[in-house]
Amino acid sequence: MVQFLQQLINGLSIGSVYALMAVGYSLVYSIMNFSNFAHGGVIMLGAYFGFFSLTLLKLPFVVAFLLASVGTLAVAIIVERIAYKPLRERKAPFLYFIISAMGASILLENIVIATIGPTFRTYPEVFSKVPITLGPLAIGRLDLIIFAISAVCLTLLILFIEKTKIGKAIQAASYNVKACALMGVNTDRVILTVFGLGGFLAGVAGVFFGMKYTVYPQIGNITTKSFIAAVFGGLGSLPGAVLGSVILGTIETFVAGYLSSQFRDLIAFVILIAVLVLRPTGIMGKVTEDKA
Amino acid sequence: MAPILSIRNLTKKFGGLTAVGDVSFDVPEGSIVGLIGPNGAGKTTIFNLITGVYKPTSGTIEFREKSILGLEPYRIADMGITRTFQNIRLFKNLTVFENVLTACHMNASYSFAEAILRLPRFRTQEKALVAKAENLLEIMGLMGYRDLVANNLPYGLQRRLEIVRALALNPVLLLLDEPAAGMNPDETEQLMRLIGRIRNDFSLSVLVIEHHMDLIMGVCEHIVVLNFGEKIAEGTADEVSRSPQVIEAYLGTSLEAADA
Amino acid sequence: MSWTYIQGILMLAGINMIAVLGLSLLTGFTGLFSFGHAGFMAIGAYVGAWISASPASTPAGLGLPFILAIVGGGAAAGIVSYFIGRISLNLKGDYFCIATLGFGEAIRLIFNNVNRFGGARGWPGVPGRSTFLVILIADVIAILFLANLVKSRHGRNMIAVREEELAAQIAGINVFRYKMISLIISAVYAGVAGVFFAHYMTFIQPKMFSLTKSTELTIIVIFGGLGSISGSVLGALVLTALPELLRAFEIWRLVFYGAAVILIMVSRPKGLMGGMELTPSGIRKVLAERNALREAKTKLLADAQSGEED
Repeated sequence: MVQFLQQLINGLSIGSVYALMAVGYSLVYSIMNFSNFAHGGVIMLGAYFGFFSLTLLKLPFVVAFLLASVGTLAVAIIVERIAYKPLRERKAPFLYFIISAMGASILLENIVIATIGPTFRTYPEVFSKVPITLGPLAIGRLDLIIFAISAVCLTLLILFIEKTKIGKAIQAASYNVKACALMGVNTDRVILTVFGLGGFLAGVAGVFFGMKYTVYPQIGNITTKSFIAAVFGGLGSLPGAVLGSVILGTIETFVAGYLSSQFRDLIAFVILIAVLVLRPTGIMGKVTEDKA
Repeated sequence: MAPILSIRNLTKKFGGLTAVGDVSFDVPEGSIVGLIGPNGAGKTTIFNLITGVYKPTSGTIEFREKSILGLEPYRIADMGITRTFQNIRLFKNLTVFENVLTACHMNASYSFAEAILRLPRFRTQEKALVAKAENLLEIMGLMGYRDLVANNLPYGLQRRLEIVRALALNPVLLLLDEPAAGMNPDETEQLMRLIGRIRNDFSLSVLVIEHHMDLIMGVCEHIVVLNFGEKIAEGTADEVSRSPQVIEAYLGTSLEAADA
Repeated sequence: MSWTYIQGILMLAGINMIAVLGLSLLTGFTGLFSFGHAGFMAIGAYVGAWISASPASTPAGLGLPFILAIVGGGAAAGIVSYFIGRISLNLKGDYFCIATLGFGEAIRLIFNNVNRFGGARGWPGVPGRSTFLVILIADVIAILFLANLVKSRHGRNMIAVREEELAAQIAGINVFRYKMISLIISAVYAGVAGVFFAHYMTFIQPKMFSLTKSTELTIIVIFGGLGSISGSVLGALVLTALPELLRAFEIWRLVFYGAAVILIMVSRPKGLMGGMELTPSGIRKVLAERNALREAKTKLLADAQSGEED
């Protein structure tokens, strides 16, 4: 029982980091209908931004944390401007977006390898490693903080989407971009906002991911799992992305804990395939019927 | 003589919406039947049901007295039913000739191995396909555009190419979905004659959806009128245009609009 | 630069070319995009290695002739692709892409966990049977097979599926069957490429067949131009050789590569050949199309003018 609770807390903690990443995939998908594989590269940069702000610039954690997030926000928008905007203007098929995204992902990863090097780096200790004990349970401070801040960020995101004017425009655009443009919504601004939001949360996720594990140029590949979580929850749906992430994080932790850590990565892809076969629109994705 | 196509109590529901409700009618062999009705009356849905794109909720569709219910679209095409689309669906990046040649595939039977090893059967059948495609283009007056990429064809000719592509399948029953959409009166007139001609030359039956009343009245021997997914009248052009329900539901407003 | 060095690069390009040609059929001619073909390469590589490696080596193989390894590796990839196709070919648009990505990664991770085949540490004792001549012959066969297929009714049916799926159905084409055949052929090509790869490197490891490898194959097909066999051939030569020749810039070459991919997508999405073929009949076809367009324009212009005179 104790072990079960311990695993559950671990799972929720990693699941909430996946959720921060997954909403970035889902936001972009909901408006532009393609899977933005450059997002992994942006998250990786977030981890590096946070790392260097703490070690080189010796900034306090909160400042480093914000700096990393603002940095990734900028990177996400630059990627959009360079790699996607020309395609949008040409109304290119979704596949060109995916390939361009893959190109951007290769580019970001290798810029880091070429300039900073391929070595693994460990974050300095920001929070005490001594766990908080609650009866027989030992909860890592970091896990708790990650979970709390992620929850706050996601709540703010949902409030932003529900309450602000631009948030409402995002919602409307996710139903029908063309109609929105005709109604006078500035779709370019909607898209920039979406990349900005996704980019900001990518920074948060990158820092947490780096703190929990290590920092290295291929972190982007691991974030494929958060993409799977987004598919699992239903691509294009924010609550779906969060739910899918939390479930995936928990399942992974249990598989690693009770079966074998070797199967941890495999299970994500098994889930992905099962979802696509049984219900490709995921838990909460929109179902549409084609008209002939 | 038994009708070539016989539809009985056909119903299609999308969720709570009844797109087609309890519709029955026949297409007699060798005839041209018109299917008319206001927008959203369920005309294209009936085409999608006949060609197997949608599966009906209930009812029967018999082609030459055999049920074609639940068959895949390509099987239905194999049996001799083919169609054109309201929003043209050509193989856009292929040339006019390639569009027709592709559709001629049913006239050949060589296997993958024969194609890859270029065996004699492949060669002779391929020659026959090319001849058939060119012959069709010649008959239908598109030979002058043989090597033009379909996307670059003028709109009216794209519609015509779609009909040629359908004819390449040796159909027995041809379904035309608004073939005159976007055409001027001259072109519509030409199209009318063309439909009559292909019916005779290729000895087929035609079911046509159209908004142009001139075309329907001029070319169809029999007309079925739909409104809100239900059949409200059926008969010759004269009979239909005298039916009070039709005048109320459709012709009245439409003729006024046409006059205006 | 020595001949052995150039030969080595050409062999690698030739191996890549086989996989790219297969993917070209699936993507360029049938309109299906895959991010999992490295998985089929992995299956070919491992099955091929198992068939031809010596029973005395670790992991132990069967010690059978190379030709059986080629046939076995290709067939194994084809069989697996059949089952993958059964469950994923009905998915729409990018969900098929995502499914292939999932299968590709799953295959890699499975090999990571199969200790019989060396697990994550890899398989070192694969015999070096991939010679320049054998790869050259395989490339020629692969090109001829594909060219003849594409010019037959079967190939045209696949192109019809790419162009307009619903119209293809209505034209009596069994869309699912042709997608399946295209997927299986492309997987067999990838599998055979995997066999050659294993017997060229003499060492294989699951991480050689990652998502990056799948992406690279798709990028080459697009770079060469969708729907062009000559484009795929040139693409494989240029994009395999170029990074190798840029070895001097070692760490920066992948940066250029990523930037080049974005640049290609943004500037010339039709790729090198843009659907054209560099053969006498291919050139004649392009000229005929241009000519037809010119004639059609004059004809329409003349019609419009005579219409105004009425």
